[in-house]
Amino acid sequence: MSSLRAALLALFAASVAMAAVMVALVVSSDHENAKEVTAVLGPFIGLSFCGTGIFAWTRRPHNRFGALMTAVGFAWFVAGLTQANDPWVYTLGVYLGPLYLVLVGHMLLAFPTGRLETTQARTLIALGYLDALLVQVPFFLLGGDISHPADAPRNAWALTDNPDGAQVFGAVSQLVAAGLIVWLAVQLVQKRRDASPPQRRVMAPVLWTGLALSAALVVAVLSQILGGAEPIATSPSVVSLIAFAALPWAFVVGLLRSRYSRAGAVGDLVERLNAQGIEGESLRDALADALGDKSLALAFWSRGSERYVDAHGQPFDLPPAAARDRAVTEIERESMPVAAIVHDAALLDEPGLVRAAGAAAALALENERLEAELKARVAELQVSRAKVIEVGMAERRALERNLHDGAQQRLVALSLQLGLAKTKLREDPEVAERILDGARRELASALEELRELARGIHPAILTDRGLAAALDALAGRAPVPVDVETVPEGRMPMPVEAVAYFVVSESLTNMAKYADAEYATVRVLRENGYAVVEIEDNGIGGADPSAGSGLRGLADRLAALDGRLEVDSPPGVGTTVRARIPCA
Amino acid sequence: MRVVLADDSVLLREGLAALLEGKDFDVVAQSGDAEDLLRKVGAHKPDVAIVDVRMPPTHTDEGLKAALEIRQRFPETGVLVLSAYVEETSALELLSDDAAGIGYLLKDRVSDVDRFTEAVRRVGDGGSALDPEVVSRLLGRRRREDPLAALSPREREVLGLMAEGRSNHAIADALVVTERAVEKHVTSIFTKLTLPPTVVDHRRVLAVLAYLQG
Repeated sequence: MSSLRAALLALFAASVAMAAVMVALVVSSDHENAKEVTAVLGPFIGLSFCGTGIFAWTRRPHNRFGALMTAVGFAWFVAGLTQANDPWVYTLGVYLGPLYLVLVGHMLLAFPTGRLETTQARTLIALGYLDALLVQVPFFLLGGDISHPADAPRNAWALTDNPDGAQVFGAVSQLVAAGLIVWLAVQLVQKRRDASPPQRRVMAPVLWTGLALSAALVVAVLSQILGGAEPIATSPSVVSLIAFAALPWAFVVGLLRSRYSRAGAVGDLVERLNAQGIEGESLRDALADALGDKSLALAFWSRGSERYVDAHGQPFDLPPAAARDRAVTEIERESMPVAAIVHDAALLDEPGLVRAAGAAAALALENERLEAELKARVAELQVSRAKVIEVGMAERRALERNLHDGAQQRLVALSLQLGLAKTKLREDPEVAERILDGARRELASALEELRELARGIHPAILTDRGLAAALDALAGRAPVPVDVETVPEGRMPMPVEAVAYFVVSESLTNMAKYADAEYATVRVLRENGYAVVEIEDNGIGGADPSAGSGLRGLADRLAALDGRLEVDSPPGVGTTVRARIPCA
Repeated sequence: MRVVLADDSVLLREGLAALLEGKDFDVVAQSGDAEDLLRKVGAHKPDVAIVDVRMPPTHTDEGLKAALEIRQRFPETGVLVLSAYVEETSALELLSDDAAGIGYLLKDRVSDVDRFTEAVRRVGDGGSALDPEVVSRLLGRRRREDPLAALSPREREVLGLMAEGRSNHAIADALVVTERAVEKHVTSIFTKLTLPPTVVDHRRVLAVLAYLQG
């Protein structure tokens, strides 16, 4: 048994003892007129509060509501001290008597979280405690009259005998109390209005009972102010007493009601799902109806992009785990995530409820998920298609620039030299010969540049001799030793080979530019329907795949084939570029 | 004749310089970008600046902009713009206000040394030089009720050479006819196209271009 449970058990034992004391006081009381009724009802009410309060406390140790309810029970028992014949104990009972009413107000406003959420509520309750415990003090000290009925003990705390002066404080205290109770009623109505539907279902019985209690109390207090001069606690009206006694049971009813109706709702949901093909918005609506949460939202797990998307395939951000009013319940099927239900946090008071509804709808959710995934895929393809076009355009621009600055420029120079040579041919054949020699060198360079450019567009060796030969050629031109370890025998589809080639080519170019590596290793493997291209160097690492246009371009090219690029580049260790290209 | 050269390719610059010097031009300065070019033109006040269109930093049309600026700031200096490809719009932009001292040629024209140096000299002397490619494209434009159809083949040839910026004398040389014959063709062309007669070559170019532009 945990220490909390032990403590709560002891607390319950204490409340039973208090009930026993109350019975004893009532039985031996000289001024109680309805001994039988009071001896039964008094302990019953106190134990109702303590019992349900301690029960709620055990169920939700972190929610202060149970503690508040228990406190009301104990305050009720303390109010029972007014049954005592000893004047001092009697006076203490009269003084502390109204406290249980303030505690009830506190409990009602703090329902169901156990916290006073608004400044208004906090102010109201603070004023209540002040009124009950402080404003009353002068009433007692000035010798206020508390002997009701007439044979009850006298005020044992009177320092002087000034009943009229005391009555001023008594009246003030009662007026303030009346005002506070009206305010409380307003707050309760507001609380109901602000609650989300699922919260409202749990709260309704308690709030309605609380409203009835405050109404009865206002009537009682006002009639006292107008009619007599006794503190409110000594003779609560019958109606307010009934409403008060009903509170713990209203709490239990609220709990059962929500549980019962929710169990039924899940049953309804199953029926609704079976009866009609439910999809799209109507699936969300069905779940929202079943859980009584209109704000409910659905997100679907996209296996392709490994994130949640909405029904239209657009990325969906789940509320943060720290969000107080929204909660997320993830639904799995065959231990794969299917969907996430984003709902009112109040539904978590019912552990397993959302999960049960989600499980009931799992198949429909899975269907919905497939559709959302398809839409997400289409959106992704649109983006990647646009990127491919963009890459193509960028490559064409680069090509034009290369042609313009390279070969074209050389050919113009060449034509210039030929023109010059022609003018010199007759008058100065030696000079003409020198110019022609230069022209020949120029032509050789232009040809070399054109070859280089052509290789960049599409290496002929790749078409003619395959990936292994093409990679060997690449390795041979690299500025550091490159070891081509494995390349699968036999040809792969041309687009796969081409992308693999460019992954290696771009990676080796990057390595030569930035990595400061001593050697590199290239591997191409086929595994599980993928061609895996791996380039590993022992350079300085720290490559950022999102920074360079080269690596980004590669990623875009790969995306066109549904491939993926991973760059693992811990500083000081080296860089590994790995591309996975689907290749059946 | 004093020349400033601007091209970001050293190779081409040096080649051009050698070619021009062999033809008794005085290459007073060379530069690799537009900014440097403007500075050197300001310093040397050459007769002609030969400018490549594409230069650093953006490698797009720095040369064109520099040419326009030179025309504005140093009206005494002619500008010959060289380009790897020619566009009518760029040509018309260059020649729009005043064709005096403006040339626009394909880079390839350098291989015909005599014609090229002749064009440089013409621009340096305040004339104009428009690439035959541009001219033929302007002439070749399809028009409704084409007035050019009224011209004889010879007259079309003469119109093209006029548009290139050549003088009657040069046209006569090119067509191997007498200057007198050229003058007769010119008068006939102007009459057929109802153009106001002009004597000065570069004005004639503008008139013809404006006409061809339609």
